[in-house]
Amino acid sequence: MNKWLFPALTALALLTGCASVQRGSIPVVDSGTRVSNSERVSANRAGAAVNTGTRQAQAMPQDSGVTVMVPQGAGSEPIQTFAAPTGPASIDTGPITPGPQNSAPFPSTSSGGYSAPSAPTGIPSSNTGSGGLSADEQLDGPVLALLTTAQTQQTGGDLNGASSSLERAQRIAPREPQVLYRLAQVRLAQGDAAQSEQLARRALTYANGRPDLQAGLWDIIAQARDKQGDAAGAALARQKAKVSL
Amino acid sequence: MTRTRSSRTSKKRPSGRARTWLGWALKLSLVGLVVLAGFAVYLDAVVQEKFSGKRWTIPAKVYARPLELFVGQKLSKNDFLIELDALGYRRESVANGPGAASVNGNTIDLNTRGFQFYEGMEKAQGVRVRFSGDYVAGLSGTNGSKLDVVRLEPLLIGGIYPKNLEDRILIKLDQAPPYLLETLVAVEDRDFYHHFGVSPKSIARAIWVNTSSGAMRQGGSTLTQQLVKNFYLTNERSLSRKLNEAMMALLLEAHYSKRDILEAYLNEVFVGQDGQRAVHGFGLASQFFFSQPLSELKLHQVALLVGMVKGPSYYNPRRSPERALTRRNLVLDLLAEQGVATPEAVEAAKKMPLGVTKRGSLADSSFPGFLDLVKRQLRQDYRDEDLTEEGLRIFTSFDPILQMKSEAAMNETFKRLSGRKGADEVEAAMVVTNPETGEVQALIGSRQAGFAGFNRAIDAVRPIGSLVKPAVYLTALEKPSQFTLTSWVQDEPFSVKGADGQVWKPQNYDRRAHGTIFLYQGLANSYNLSTAKLGLEVGVPNVLKTIGRLGVNVDWPAFPSMLLGAGGMSPVQVATMYQTLANGGFNTPMRGIRSVLTAEGEPLKRYPFQIQQTFDPGSIYLVQNAMQRVMREGTGRSVYSVLPSSLNLAGKTGTSNDSRDSWFAGFSQDLLAVVWLGRDDNGKTPFTGATGALQVWTSFMRKADPLPLDMPQPDNVVQAWVDPHTGQGSDASCPGAVQMPYIRGSEPVAGAACGGEQAPAESVMDWVKGWMN
Repeated sequence: MNKWLFPALTALALLTGCASVQRGSIPVVDSGTRVSNSERVSANRAGAAVNTGTRQAQAMPQDSGVTVMVPQGAGSEPIQTFAAPTGPASIDTGPITPGPQNSAPFPSTSSGGYSAPSAPTGIPSSNTGSGGLSADEQLDGPVLALLTTAQTQQTGGDLNGASSSLERAQRIAPREPQVLYRLAQVRLAQGDAAQSEQLARRALTYANGRPDLQAGLWDIIAQARDKQGDAAGAALARQKAKVSL
Repeated sequence: MTRTRSSRTSKKRPSGRARTWLGWALKLSLVGLVVLAGFAVYLDAVVQEKFSGKRWTIPAKVYARPLELFVGQKLSKNDFLIELDALGYRRESVANGPGAASVNGNTIDLNTRGFQFYEGMEKAQGVRVRFSGDYVAGLSGTNGSKLDVVRLEPLLIGGIYPKNLEDRILIKLDQAPPYLLETLVAVEDRDFYHHFGVSPKSIARAIWVNTSSGAMRQGGSTLTQQLVKNFYLTNERSLSRKLNEAMMALLLEAHYSKRDILEAYLNEVFVGQDGQRAVHGFGLASQFFFSQPLSELKLHQVALLVGMVKGPSYYNPRRSPERALTRRNLVLDLLAEQGVATPEAVEAAKKMPLGVTKRGSLADSSFPGFLDLVKRQLRQDYRDEDLTEEGLRIFTSFDPILQMKSEAAMNETFKRLSGRKGADEVEAAMVVTNPETGEVQALIGSRQAGFAGFNRAIDAVRPIGSLVKPAVYLTALEKPSQFTLTSWVQDEPFSVKGADGQVWKPQNYDRRAHGTIFLYQGLANSYNLSTAKLGLEVGVPNVLKTIGRLGVNVDWPAFPSMLLGAGGMSPVQVATMYQTLANGGFNTPMRGIRSVLTAEGEPLKRYPFQIQQTFDPGSIYLVQNAMQRVMREGTGRSVYSVLPSSLNLAGKTGTSNDSRDSWFAGFSQDLLAVVWLGRDDNGKTPFTGATGALQVWTSFMRKADPLPLDMPQPDNVVQAWVDPHTGQGSDASCPGAVQMPYIRGSEPVAGAACGGEQAPAESVMDWVKGWMN
């Protein structure tokens, strides 16, 4: 029980912190997405106990999600710059990231927190930097910008536009699992559960070593399977989502 | 007749007859008036009906992919400039106004034009791009603002026309560049703003000029009359048509403003012929001759276009540049004379070259192969009338730069190989896709790429030879308990009796048997004996099922000969199949179209990215490994005499019986290309897959400079050290030990270490390096 207390508390703190962020629409901070997406919330209603668990889990992939980007054509394994996925450690950095972006109402400024790196980020030779915050520099400007646009479009109900923007991001960074993750989310919202699952599965093949993201992807797969009437498959995916963490 | 009779009768009884004559004349003219009024009403209806409705049917416009700019993008400055030239960007010392660019070392400033895309408007803005090597190293606004990503407007690559069609780009009056309206009025109809449709003054002037010079030098037609003539009437020359024209001109002027009439004129005027397509309106003319939007034209370009109205084919600037130049300068002089432009501006304009796009440049090329693919996809969703009349905007994935590179690779390779006997009769096709998105980026349907006709990339279904082999090996490797890359297989002669009673006795290309080999070597060296044996072991129907899962449904009979590629596919189908191999076992239906907008820019339809996992990534990883060995040590190894060894590639050669078909299909991380060479009459060619198609492929990859293949290692794959001779498990410390991927659990038992000191431990990287060199 004690084991749960700490993460639960931090998650609570984080959720309240994020509550104001959702409109700020930092696209990759998925807590914002999920909270604002009624569909997802209802889909999460499966079990209350699990719910807090997953919610807390969701808070984490976003943080690590924001900081960890695989530059296109990096020609190497996904770069994992954040600290080992011990809950408290990564959550600590959480509030720092959304902090400055919090006040910004416009998508473009959400990338303002991203300081332009001196070296092109997409260039394979650019090194990974070290430490939690410098990992921010791994953010790909264009991908982030397009995810932000897509978020705005989705919030405004333009799912086709969001889809289109995400595919644009996917052409720029085809191996970035977060783009596929968002695309899977939008497909789910569009009612195309089958494609949603496929995209999430494709994303999983690029998400090695990113357990939080993997958990989020398995969660999408679970929802997609639910919608396709595959309860057993959904349960299996939920299991995987837990194991990933 | 009538006149003679009346004159005779009038002599007899002048007074009474005159009265009745007058009465008759009155009645007649009354009838005439009524008839005329009736006719006028009819004409009026005609005039209004056509002018107020949709005035023109517009063929669908097809656009290439918009070039995206962002930091870290792989794009050479040279390719970027080619794209800018094709889009008609003017080179200026300081970029000024939309469609201008200035080059300063590795930095290029440009003012984009803005464009309506499916997901929104890309606004026109000043952009500064800095290049470093073949990458975009910096991107910002010219005002210093930060920019994450910018899209250029897409290149217009064609339209969808029925035969003999008028094509145009509709423009509004406010899109007319400076000088255009004034020049048009000055040259064609000086009194335009003062007449009511016909101009007695200019008719009188025309008569004066023509009679005094004794030739038809000047027409008296107003702009309104010209519009009426082109818009409503046939080209017949007669007095009645002339009267008709005059009446309609009056009616048009009565109903519509000068601005409306001028705008219609700008869109209607005929300015040239492009094959079957008639180029109408200054909007399209501007794109057609200068590859620029009309609003950006400068005085000298305006003068040329207006000058051409008098005789579009006589003054065609591409065919008769000197004549066109003389005419342009005549127009310019006229402008100075009438005070439309200052003498200084006119003098400066006269010094300018014609400025029409060069032949053979990107802007002046056509891409019939790709457009054909797009049309076929569109016809599944739209009626022909929708495509040829509604002015739809079709956004595609076509990459003009990759297309030019594939065409250049094709031409250069044929030139190089032209010494081979029979090379002249060899035709070709090529398909280039992005395996990560499933999008077609370039397509060649004929050796003469600009030639519309039989599209071999889509329609030439030919035996694929050894291109089928990866499917055989994939079928086997999906059973890791039975087959691994280092399983022993026999490359020995054998024969089987087929279902049809025929005895089938495969042979190797070099007619030799290679004994006991590693499984992967059969694929790498394209051995027929071991592959056929393996295929029979896993079952021909299963191999055919694998091909279906790779994305191509073939109706081949389950004969053993199918294992060696007796079945036929088109190059596009081969690309579909290899895309699944390249994309980690996820099949992506091939797409050429991204979205469709209406003429007004409203979103109409999207063709979304779709994938379907049909294989476990682990077995695909193993097949990719074997296909990389094709390039490193097998039949494709000639690529590395041209390409850097750091560029990881996977592929497969294919040669059908008697070298009737020369194939190569292969991919990097971001680029997949399939090349086919062969004769239309299915005769023998002087090429194998390696000596023909692979040469084109290599040349293309060298120009395209893709990213090295790097599939992330799936969870169920492990790397194990093995002895290169025995295939037994070994250890990193053992001399010569190599690392091979296995599905977890199928790897050989690890061997003992060979003692730290006797041999320096060969690390993975060392081995990879050695293998690459």
